Amino acid sequence: MVRVLLFILAGMGVAPFSVHADHSSKIEIVGSSTVLPIASRAAEKFKSASSHRMRILVNAGGSGVGIHSVARGRSDIGMTSRKISMSERKRFEGSHLKVHSVGMDAIACVVSSEIYAAGIHDLTRQQIRDIYQGKIKNWKDVGGPDRNIVVVDKERHRGTRHVFMNYIFGNPTPKTFGTLLVTGSNNEEQTKIAQSDSAIGMLSYAWINDEVKAIAIRHEKNIVSPTRETIRKGNYPITRNLSFITAGEPNGEVKAFLEFLKSPEGQQIVEESGYIPFN
Amino acid sequence: MSAAAFERCMIIFLSLLTLLISSLLLIILVTVFIKGLPALHSGFFMEASENFGRSGGIFYQLMGTLLLMTGAVLVSLPVALGSVIYQTQFLKSKSLKEVCRLSAQMLNATPTILFGLVGYLFFGVYLKTGVSWVTGSLILSIMILPTLQISIREAIEAMPQKYKDTGMALGLSRWEQIKSIIIPQCYYGIITGVFLGLARAAGETAAIMFAATTFSGIQFPETFEDPVPTLQTHMLVLTQEAANPKAIAQAWGAGWVLLALVFILTITAWILRSRLKMEAEL
Amino acid sequence: MKNESQCMMWVFACLNFMFLCCMGGLFFFLVHESFPIIKLYGLDFWFGQDWWVGETYGALPMLYGSTLVTALACLLVLPLALAVAIFISEFLTSMNRRFVKAVLELLAGVPGIVYGLLGVTFLSLWIKDIFGLLDGNTLVTAACLLSIMILPTVLTLSEDAMRAVPAEYRENALGLGLSKWQTAITVVLPQALPGIMGAVLLGIGRAMGETIAVMLVVGSLDRIPDPWFNIFSSAQTIPSKLGREAAESIGEGTHWSALMALGLTLFLMVLVISFMGNRFLKRERKL
Repeated sequence: MVRVLLFILAGMGVAPFSVHADHSSKIEIVGSSTVLPIASRAAEKFKSASSHRMRILVNAGGSGVGIHSVARGRSDIGMTSRKISMSERKRFEGSHLKVHSVGMDAIACVVSSEIYAAGIHDLTRQQIRDIYQGKIKNWKDVGGPDRNIVVVDKERHRGTRHVFMNYIFGNPTPKTFGTLLVTGSNNEEQTKIAQSDSAIGMLSYAWINDEVKAIAIRHEKNIVSPTRETIRKGNYPITRNLSFITAGEPNGEVKAFLEFLKSPEGQQIVEESGYIPFN
Repeated sequence: MSAAAFERCMIIFLSLLTLLISSLLLIILVTVFIKGLPALHSGFFMEASENFGRSGGIFYQLMGTLLLMTGAVLVSLPVALGSVIYQTQFLKSKSLKEVCRLSAQMLNATPTILFGLVGYLFFGVYLKTGVSWVTGSLILSIMILPTLQISIREAIEAMPQKYKDTGMALGLSRWEQIKSIIIPQCYYGIITGVFLGLARAAGETAAIMFAATTFSGIQFPETFEDPVPTLQTHMLVLTQEAANPKAIAQAWGAGWVLLALVFILTITAWILRSRLKMEAEL
Repeated sequence: MKNESQCMMWVFACLNFMFLCCMGGLFFFLVHESFPIIKLYGLDFWFGQDWWVGETYGALPMLYGSTLVTALACLLVLPLALAVAIFISEFLTSMNRRFVKAVLELLAGVPGIVYGLLGVTFLSLWIKDIFGLLDGNTLVTAACLLSIMILPTVLTLSEDAMRAVPAEYRENALGLGLSKWQTAITVVLPQALPGIMGAVLLGIGRAMGETIAVMLVVGSLDRIPDPWFNIFSSAQTIPSKLGREAAESIGEGTHWSALMALGLTLFLMVLVISFMGNRFLKRERKL
């Protein structure tokens, strides 16, 4: 009886190894949840086109985690949706981080679909600032329905937050006193705004859907919405590069993968994921 | 109201409360059962996950969880057995016994996220096992050490003294006594402990989420340095997409499987404990 | 033969030493990693109210969140556990007792992530609707979820404590003409009280250390609610903070040291509570 059980236990432990005798190469990619769809899709295509067995691991965590991982050698490639900050450059000086940009993305200030339907289609930079600072607490103060604003913020190291806050506050890591709750990945933020009926937040514009609507930025008489045109022309102010980061010059499989991303096929994947390729 | 009537009321009140609480807890199980069932299409157990986990199956996640659990028990068992034998058969000093007892209690109560972080620091960074299933198994093995120890100790302490006396009367050496009397007699404790340890390791997320897992890209690990997908971390990622019904459906399915796994292991532990205990007492 | 025994004794002693090293090692690493930030901040670390990575690290919001969530969970659990334990131990037949205890033990093993899923899909939304809140991720949500999580454990240990009161107490009381109810409340319960205290403390210890379920429903806002007793606002607990931020800076840096110091604080808090809990339980068994 005992022997049978021990045998089963041992079998469970050994089984994985007997399946694949040959050793395949492995690439580990960690970082921004914005870039993740590109990396995942590209990984699939790249693996199937490759002549030998390849494994590409893609995991989220945020731009900050991506930079930290690749700098410390815990992953081969880091994904970021923002620039490497000054303090990060200093901290990771020894790692010689190299940035490979593969596309562009815009960040929209988003609101729950009910708020959009109630007439809020654009806000000024100052209004958004005041909302995140807690000075404006109710939608009626900006021309909307009489409902308290659910201010959704992101974790401090997230690329989306850096770029958004840099535009709104002139500072990539400001203290926001009006925040009601903090989310992590784009998925989590999208969920929260969709579930609420009076939320405001920041999302990559590829994540906009029926429940989560983008509002335009108003500056004096100009109203700019995030669309492919305005982003490409540079009219829309909150844009960023989506990049893959390596420690030093890439070589071997990693280099091949990055080159694939910059190739026409890779750029098409960028477009399919909802972002803007470079050509 | 007379005293008797008051008491009867109170008893009824308590019984209703008990019924309420038991139903609440059972409703939780039933909820997981019902919500998870739709996701269990025929391929669920055998297919890989697709579309960022929003469709497909959880085969490799299940394998990953099983691998981590098994590895944890394999590492933990010798240490648990050896330490309990030492404490019950060889250790004389009262204060050292007390230290051991406290150590086990504290280990049992420690928040598991700390195991994960410090474990990753020690095994993954210092011993260079990296983010891998090996690191995960090592961390989990420390976490379930008290669980195994408790079962084994119970079995050893329940053993009638006359068995030991017989051993000594036969002139067996210490080691022979342990080998041929004590260990066989506490088999049921070992087996029970193993299954309870497996059940505890199966459900653990915080200890392994930084140190052993990946969400995509790996099916079976091929080396000792590969991370693995697990049911727990799969659920964690999907739960954060609560507005997406497909993702949540998959999360419920994975939750159903995880819960079923933990329950099967726990109930097996009970059955084995009573069966083998009876055999030992014959 | 003697030598073989000696040799094996050393093997076992080694294994025991390895086991002791686990605890020692854990504590050592926590202290070692926290040292930099504690040297930098001193006591201000635990009293600081602001946690802005890269600028200042103050642990008070997390400490406050952890304490409040746990206290709330305790308040919710204690009366229920007491009432149900009394009923099961004093008024239920032994067959039913065994069945109920089995179910409780099973429930105590439900993984935290399953509770997290339940919390996100049900509890969070219910609390938002019932209390008319802006969002369901609050302190009170986390407290409710935790109380459900620790209920089986606290219940089962409390019931054990009641059961452990020797039969003579009950027999004497009944012999004196007290009813079952009176016996239970005035004789058995006071005797079992230390054990029940112990059970609750152990439950609190577990609630304090729970990461996954809390992380998903507490709101993760590093701020003491305004006003301080507003349990309907989002907040942050120590394990939740560790779960959300550790990946960013694992291994080195001031940020990591601050997180480790939080971990050390949590460790010590849980240790003290569990130690007290176990003492109460032990005292009960000696009766």
